[in-house]
Amino acid sequence: SGELNCSLPSPRNVHFESINMKNVLHWSAPEGTGNGVLYKVKYTVYGVGKWIRKPECRNINRTWCDLSSETSDYEEQYYASVKAFLNGTCSDWMETTRFNPLTDTKIDPPMVSVSSTDRSISIILTAPEKWKRSPEEESISLLQVYPGLQYNVSVLNKKTKKRWFFSISNNTLVVPWLEPGTAYCVSAQIHVTTPLLDSDFSKEHCITTLKDK
Amino acid sequence: LGACRVSMSMTEVRAGFTAIKANIQSRDPIRTLSILSHPHSLHKVKSSDRCCITHQLFTFYVDKVFKHCRTEDSFVNRKISSIANSFLSARRKLGQCHEQNKCVCGEESTEKFKQILANYEGLNVTSAAMKSLGELDILLDWMEKSR
Repeated sequence: SGELNCSLPSPRNVHFESINMKNVLHWSAPEGTGNGVLYKVKYTVYGVGKWIRKPECRNINRTWCDLSSETSDYEEQYYASVKAFLNGTCSDWMETTRFNPLTDTKIDPPMVSVSSTDRSISIILTAPEKWKRSPEEESISLLQVYPGLQYNVSVLNKKTKKRWFFSISNNTLVVPWLEPGTAYCVSAQIHVTTPLLDSDFSKEHCITTLKDK
Repeated sequence: LGACRVSMSMTEVRAGFTAIKANIQSRDPIRTLSILSHPHSLHKVKSSDRCCITHQLFTFYVDKVFKHCRTEDSFVNRKISSIANSFLSARRKLGQCHEQNKCVCGEESTEKFKQILANYEGLNVTSAAMKSLGELDILLDWMEKSR
């Protein structure tokens, strides 16, 4: 593009949005440009000498580009960059900050399943899986990625509004000495101490303990 | 770290680094060179060499990195000295392990550390120190993964 005149303002706020290591590059259109702007994207592994173009994100008019596949090795760190084109002019490349998939991803809440007896409820929690290229690819639980992963569990007695909090490392919890025939609502969050990562709390799963025998 | 027990508040060091990461990394314009992770990744180090590499790296950060990372920002400087203090006490403990032969250096770790020093000496001191500090999460990620 050496022959093009690069006086177009650059794309703005170029950054990765990452959930469970699904890493998508996002940006905003250059200031003052309406429709018709096209973009191309490149990325590099930090410490390695070359920038690599992303063919699927060449001459695109959308303002995002999925780089999950290219940034799936979470033992590496990355930069990505975007360039804009409009009516024969172009912008400079605009880069992200250094992206570390391990620390810069957001984690979804755990899956929660609940069962009950008359005086207890059993809770089974499942951590989300790391993003993967295809369903056939082997699943990697985020538990394997973050050895220090824990669960914070909230249990609410719907009748008395009394709430308990538990912090557990394994994925099952039995809450004993409950009242028969009473509704309890369970919600759980993932907590990684270091690097510090907290998911949101899951939506509530309510169950009623069996009536007294 | 094998027979060597070292306690360091990873949460505190992590939090300190996270607070200054963007500031420090923005001072490092070089994308094509890494001090710690290329050409050899820390993640390929054998477990038997982990203690020695950790000891060498803590010595590296204490002797060659933190002291060359003063900035014009007092907040950043405070965080750097807090991290440095954590490294200093952990390094002392690692040194004791080394003296008691619980932190033996194999050929691989010696080679690996030589490469790190070569990467470091390939830049001027301030750039090398700032780049090394900006890569602290690479070291922390590796230490946490191999706990």
